[in-house]
Amino acid sequence: MKILAIDTSCDETAAAVTEDVKVLSNIIWSQASAHAKFGGVMPSLAQRMHEERIDWVIERALKSSKTKIEDVYAIAVTIGPGLSIALGVGVNRAKEIAKKYNKKLIAVNHLEGHVLSPLANNQPLITNIKYPALGLVVSGKNTILVKIDQIGKYETLATTVDDALGEALDKAARMLGLGYPGGYIIEKFSRLGDPKKYHLPIPLSGQEARQIFSYSGIKTSMMRLVEKQKPLTKEKIYNLAAAFQDIAFEHLIRVVKFIVRNSKYQFHDFLIGGGVAANVQLRMRMRKLCREFNLKAHFPYSNKLYGDNAAMIGVAGHFKTKRQEFIVPDKIDRNPKTKL
Amino acid sequence: MQIIKSFADFGLIIDILNKGGVVIYPTETLYGIGVDATNPEAVRKLTEYKNRPFGKPYSIAVTDKKMAEDYVELNPTASNLYDKFLPGPLTVISKGRHNVASGVESEDGTLGIRIPDYLKILELIKKFGKPITSTSANASYKKRPYKISDILENISDKQKALIDLIVDVGELPKNDPSTVVDTTLDDPVTLRQGEIKFSDRNEILSKSEEATQNLAKEIWQKYESHKGKRAIIFALQGEMGAGKTQFTKGLAKAMGIKELVTSPTFALENEYGQGKEKLFHFDAWRLENPNELSALGFENLIKNKSVISIEWAERVSSIVTEFDDEAIIIWVNLKFGKLENDRLISWGVTK
Repeated sequence: MKILAIDTSCDETAAAVTEDVKVLSNIIWSQASAHAKFGGVMPSLAQRMHEERIDWVIERALKSSKTKIEDVYAIAVTIGPGLSIALGVGVNRAKEIAKKYNKKLIAVNHLEGHVLSPLANNQPLITNIKYPALGLVVSGKNTILVKIDQIGKYETLATTVDDALGEALDKAARMLGLGYPGGYIIEKFSRLGDPKKYHLPIPLSGQEARQIFSYSGIKTSMMRLVEKQKPLTKEKIYNLAAAFQDIAFEHLIRVVKFIVRNSKYQFHDFLIGGGVAANVQLRMRMRKLCREFNLKAHFPYSNKLYGDNAAMIGVAGHFKTKRQEFIVPDKIDRNPKTKL
Repeated sequence: MQIIKSFADFGLIIDILNKGGVVIYPTETLYGIGVDATNPEAVRKLTEYKNRPFGKPYSIAVTDKKMAEDYVELNPTASNLYDKFLPGPLTVISKGRHNVASGVESEDGTLGIRIPDYLKILELIKKFGKPITSTSANASYKKRPYKISDILENISDKQKALIDLIVDVGELPKNDPSTVVDTTLDDPVTLRQGEIKFSDRNEILSKSEEATQNLAKEIWQKYESHKGKRAIIFALQGEMGAGKTQFTKGLAKAMGIKELVTSPTFALENEYGQGKEKLFHFDAWRLENPNELSALGFENLIKNKSVISIEWAERVSSIVTEFDDEAIIIWVNLKFGKLENDRLISWGVTK
């Protein structure tokens, strides 16, 4: 059964057509230019842009999957978490389409979309996955580790108490005078630098049992270090970027490791999604961690499934369809604070 | 469509560009597609070729920083990037000067500039005397073009007919496309400190995140009695990592809110607590203009006598100060001190 999925949770206007967990189309229109998707936003403009573009994006998603709206079984839409006025655009359009064409409507949590993104186009994983499984979402907005009891049932194991990982990388880039999107630039520059040239303390080292992620401390250390190293040269920037990325990831890995090691559950599968998961270095380190604990690491099959997108919303919508979790169009509303 | 195998005939290329023609050319990253970025007709033709709706901006290629400055305003961040990393695979977005054809700059007037690390292209642009567009030569959503066949095999005859010239130098090394960097958020904020008159002023030295949180608690206790009578705004100013979120954490705790307070940088606004015990937590860093605070429902919150914390308040001070009748505004400045965890925190109130 085909699902038309819509996500307008932040800067991207996104629509996709999925069939079960197969992605038939996945259209993303970033409001910022090409890759600079974490740039500045103007909420009023963001809303207007979503409104201007949503029809085009939906039409394109339908067209490139050769789907007629009549052949769609349900509309899945992100209700949160995200930017309130942006979410409203997607929710309203989904509501209108559902009413007009008499389609089922599914309210999806954006975070669940990211957690389930590795299941897209991955039928073997759905058949073989063992529960409870682990899920990690690392993005500009979220850093959250969950236990997946089954699809649709999650328990938070650790979350950030201040900045998200992607946000911390963006801010480090800013300290180095590098602009946006910082995370992406830090990744590129890290490859050219030596992470051991500078020392930054690992956040909450020895306090992994608190089961929290925190990036406020390392932000301070980085600020101090950058000040001391001024004037910056190209080489210094490469090395500082590498050092920051290394320690930011190390903290994430340590907390995850602690939880896996001390959990009373025996995990087998680890689903990893979100924009920062597209970072090659992070994937390498997560794979290494998984090998150590005999876990299978699962990442999205395509680059377009990492950042914000609607295909993952379609995948989450598929499982909700199976559970008959529909919502009446007049009852649906955005919920910017919704939890997983 | 003509295909040439080298840059030997600059005259031909320039002639075609001058006539508003479309040229596919190699760079150190991918094959790019260029038209005269100042010619509206040529840009329209390019948009038709790329098969994307009007309104999606194009970056342009120039020869050097000096030429870039004819088309954009370079702030210190941008200037730093030009000096250290260009020419190279980096596209730097700045505020445009509107000297290019419509549709090249973004809707909010920013423009991406690239200086390709490819000598022949730099020579070409120098001779041409104007910037050319620098977008990858594939149609939207198609394969990255490292060789000409990557392009031609993926486009329609109609698109092929729009190409006037191809400079085919064979297969390019598989380098990533250029990294796009937006510097417009780093425009220095003009903080008109003079406007903000502290009727009283205090300063303490915080030695830890806990101390910063405790200070918030103390300040809250001082003004708590106004709750429900007037809006209370905590306008927080301070560099990244100065402790603005920590301060808000302390504030929430003091208000009896148990929810986790996290940075609102990406969500722009977080809301904590229930019923009468609510805290609205804003981050103005990503807001490009103070009026945007209104789009987030700021006026209503004031009307409802809410408790509000705003990080990077200096970016929206013109709006915040408008409400100094309706609200108690507590300005808090957080600065780095001598030791790693030292923060100098000062605050004052406009009543």
